[in-house]
Amino acid sequence: MRRISLSLVAAAFLTTATPASADPYAPKVGQRHPDFTLPDIRTGKPVSLSEFRGKKVLLIQFASW
Amino acid sequence: MPVWHEGTARWVKEGKLVLLGVTQEQHADRCRLLAQWRRFDWPILHDPINLLEPLAVPILVAIDEYGIVRSGKPALAGFQADFLDKTFADDAQATPPDRVGPNLKKDTSAPDWETLRAEARKADRATSWRALGDALILWGGDKSRDEALASYTRAVQLDPKDGPAWFRLGVCFRRRYESSQAKPGDFQAAVDHWGKALDLDPNRYIWRRRIQQYGPRLDQPYSFYDWVTEAEKAVRARGEEPVRLTVRPAGAEIAHPVRALPIPDETAVNPDPDGKIHRDKDGLIQAETTVVPGQVRPGKSARVHVVLRPDAKQPIHWNNEADPLRLWVEPPKGWQVSDRLLQSPQPARAATTEARSLTFEIVVPSTARGKTRLPVYAVYHVCDDAGGQCRFLRLDIPVDVTVER
Repeated sequence: MRRISLSLVAAAFLTTATPASADPYAPKVGQRHPDFTLPDIRTGKPVSLSEFRGKKVLLIQFASW
Repeated sequence: MPVWHEGTARWVKEGKLVLLGVTQEQHADRCRLLAQWRRFDWPILHDPINLLEPLAVPILVAIDEYGIVRSGKPALAGFQADFLDKTFADDAQATPPDRVGPNLKKDTSAPDWETLRAEARKADRATSWRALGDALILWGGDKSRDEALASYTRAVQLDPKDGPAWFRLGVCFRRRYESSQAKPGDFQAAVDHWGKALDLDPNRYIWRRRIQQYGPRLDQPYSFYDWVTEAEKAVRARGEEPVRLTVRPAGAEIAHPVRALPIPDETAVNPDPDGKIHRDKDGLIQAETTVVPGQVRPGKSARVHVVLRPDAKQPIHWNNEADPLRLWVEPPKGWQVSDRLLQSPQPARAATTEARSLTFEIVVPSTARGKTRLPVYAVYHVCDDAGGQCRFLRLDIPVDVTVER
């Protein structure tokens, strides 16, 4: 897995004329994370973030590359 | 992820923490293989359309028992004291949108298709068509892919600045390209639509990576799937059967980045310098080309994918007892190519009908603009199943490369 930090991403575009767009995924500390439902990679069955209410969750978005 | 997997394993086992993964790639089975190899035993969800819209990965978020975000940048050092052992209250300061993406009905675990369709038709807004497309591509399976494609198409007609809809439209085209219902041009359409999305927002690295995955080595940040063979070997060594991949990564997907194109072999011999080999006038072999990215910037590189397959409507097969399929590339003046002559590996069986894929890379001159036709041709041996006649033929495959600033 490769690590592309958001700061590096931002830095790459500071030198261009492209105006920065708002980050569409910006979970803010102190706010509730929006719920979502996606298929499990092993079973294909739907799994929602809200199913884990009552437990502490570490949500990891990544890719196998 | 291995650091977090190992670093939190004890807390997961003790029931103090749930690791929940979301993979931002098109092929779920590749992530399944990684999880098998690395023994990731936590739930991992598949977001092939970038529904959650992170700009890049990895992203980690610590969420408490009440669903409230407590850290957007957790560190393993201090994770226990700052998050795991800490007592939080249900004190959310504000509630952003309750949900991202389609809702599923509790009784069927499926979206309410008819309501979504009716809403899209009635409102006829980009957002409603995109919502229908999201539900179809995530939960409708292959049979809904073309309807998802039509929904996203309507979304971008209504709002040409809807980057996510352009990106997801590209995902639909690529999915169809990998299916038995593939139509000519699907791969190029995928790349072109991803390109349109990225033009609207160049900060989206998930979108950028989807193009680079199939692009030239000069533009690759790293090899995307070079780990697959190692993973399969390691899994087999443990006595397990590795996850079977529906689309095996090859070519650009397993290539490694380079800083300069290799100099092509100057001794390569043009197989038909005088153009005397008979042309494939009956269309026994069909060619499809895809240029990645769809629009090349002056002085930059692209990868050209050439796929050749026997025409399914004709009784024809490759003659593997003769010389293998070759591809000759004639670069215009000032253009660089990675290879002049490419050769396809041949199966051991004498007669086969598989599609054959060859790729090469180009660097366009900094002065190039507009459309340039790159002369490419293939020579191959094929046989007629019915009459038994075998022929050596040439197929000219002009590749149009568009150079835009």
